[in-house]
Amino acid sequence: MDNKVYVIGRDSVPQYLRLEAGEELSMTLVVPPATDTRLVLEVDLTGPGASLDLAGLYLCPDAENVDIRVLVRHDVPHCVSRQLFKGIVGGTARASFDGLIYVAQDAQKTEAYQENHTLLLSDTARVESRPQLEIYADDVKCSHGATTGYLNPDELFYLRSRGIPEAEARQLQMIAFLAPVLRRLPEPLAEEIYGRLS
Amino acid sequence: MEEIIKDFAAQEYKEGFVTDVAQEYIPKGLNEDIIRMISAKKGEPEWLLEFRLGAFRRWQKMKMPHWGHLKLPRIDFQDIIYWAAPKRDEDRPETIDPALMDTFDKLGIPLHEREVLAGVKPKGEVAVDAVFDSVSVTTTFRKTLAEKGIIFCSFSEAVREHPDLVRKYLATVVPVGDNYFAALNSAVFSDGSFCYVPKGVRCPMELSSYFRINAAGTGQFERTLIVADEGAQLSYMEGCTAPMRDENQLHAAVVEIIVEKDADVKYSTVQNWYPGDAQGRGGILNLVTKRGICKGSGSHLSWTQVETGSAVTWKYPSTILKGDYSSSEFYSVAMTNNWQQADTGTKMIHLGRGTRSRVVSKGISAGHSENSYRGLVQMGPAAEGARNYSQCDSLLIGSTCGAHTFPVIRSQNPHAIVEHEATTSKISEDQLFYCTQRGIAPEDAVALIVGGYAREVLSRLPMEFAVEAQKLLSVSLEGSVG
Repeated sequence: MDNKVYVIGRDSVPQYLRLEAGEELSMTLVVPPATDTRLVLEVDLTGPGASLDLAGLYLCPDAENVDIRVLVRHDVPHCVSRQLFKGIVGGTARASFDGLIYVAQDAQKTEAYQENHTLLLSDTARVESRPQLEIYADDVKCSHGATTGYLNPDELFYLRSRGIPEAEARQLQMIAFLAPVLRRLPEPLAEEIYGRLS
Repeated sequence: MEEIIKDFAAQEYKEGFVTDVAQEYIPKGLNEDIIRMISAKKGEPEWLLEFRLGAFRRWQKMKMPHWGHLKLPRIDFQDIIYWAAPKRDEDRPETIDPALMDTFDKLGIPLHEREVLAGVKPKGEVAVDAVFDSVSVTTTFRKTLAEKGIIFCSFSEAVREHPDLVRKYLATVVPVGDNYFAALNSAVFSDGSFCYVPKGVRCPMELSSYFRINAAGTGQFERTLIVADEGAQLSYMEGCTAPMRDENQLHAAVVEIIVEKDADVKYSTVQNWYPGDAQGRGGILNLVTKRGICKGSGSHLSWTQVETGSAVTWKYPSTILKGDYSSSEFYSVAMTNNWQQADTGTKMIHLGRGTRSRVVSKGISAGHSENSYRGLVQMGPAAEGARNYSQCDSLLIGSTCGAHTFPVIRSQNPHAIVEHEATTSKISEDQLFYCTQRGIAPEDAVALIVGGYAREVLSRLPMEFAVEAQKLLSVSLEGSVG
């Protein structure tokens, strides 16, 4: 499946997508550092068998203001959607994620998953997460998960005890955290992200 | 499956009878004179009347909230009787009207101190504060409790006998202007329970309040205040029912809980207000504000609720975790059927360091009902090392109901961890098949699966309540053939 990658601030991102029967879409959104954005994306699954695989990452180390809103609507039966959003927020940045999965009454056999994970790196940064489910059909599998946390000091200790300098160790931790999204990116872009994680 | 849904709808509400007692009312409507009248009826001091009037003036400036995932019928606040009470018998002013005795007996709430709650014979005893429309009928075991220094009485008595305590704590957790219905309650509240457990005292028995709406055209606005002083411990239970009527009746309560250093409070509710009939006519509008504060370090507050009744439920028992290393839990089973709507959940506000909270919410929707979980977990800048885990599961029975999850997670602390997960599913054909091929009848299988699903929450209830709650859930499924 083709994976479309959009870098916010460089590429123009569609605001509305419609997937017809059997259509499959894989899409990755990247919010690089020093980008303020209010990203709104709406996806309608309007034909049976349509499938959406959506991922995103946002890096906000300074004073960014990032607001991501995603609405995935299952209008018909037998569609699948997956979402995975990961963010690292530090400095005085503000980041919020608002994701809604809507499953209409006739959309039986829907599978819809959504995940949002954030790392908070400073006292002055703020994150907000609103993963939402609105479900009107009974024969569905839907779930969402959200976490906010910080870089695990035990992991850091492990790396440092093996001679890895602190800065590098932290970078490794962040790369590991973002890995599920990073590996969807083309090599040069992934390299660029690695470089900006220090 | 169709049958099960049908039987769900046909389930009857056995608490739906009306007690025929002489009652006295005040006129319909809401204005400052009415509030003065309520206050005068209760013989309240000046400061409380001022408190009410202040709240009323705030309320007049506020607007009805519409953010809930609910279709609220229009409420005409001028068409409600704000105070109704059974008449005292002139000849026997000290005894309770036998009709009221019978009512509570029928509901399984013993007002004789020698009996115990809910049919089972547990070893412990239960002290009951029974509230009938706008007044408290009686409070049992007061002497036994007083020996330990515990105050457990109706709110009106507390105002008369312990005005300093009431004044010190009233509206400190839910301020007058907190929200539309809290302001309304502060203006017109009638009776409720007051409980104070002094320093280092463990309450020797379960405390409980039972709320009963009886009169037509009225609303119930009770106010409960629970204070656990340093190192105190108590378990409090609340139950409620109302007669079947075609009109919607309003129930807007406020519950405030103050938990001081190292104290431990457990608050359990089995909410069984009349849910309306199969066509969605009538039922109680249950719009309540419940909030506790873990004020001192190491304090603990636990909420457990089983919500099966009410046409509309709008309720978010919340905890403010202010003391360092304090902790709180919220366990909920919300069941909606027919045209019931529930928008319920919790708020965990972490302010102190090392605070912990856990949220387990189980929603069950059937018929044409809507069941939403709405929650907030907030980590303040000082909540170093705080931790939250939330789990919200929804179970759908039938394809015409809805189940929703609207959590909000806010973190301002880089040393706090928040985790939230939610799932939505139905009783699968596989599960049913597994049970039926082992000789378990379909109706039992459904009850078994629902019981297992809600077990984590039900097991947290005090014994007397757990039995009742289990019955409530299974009665709903009785006689259903899949």
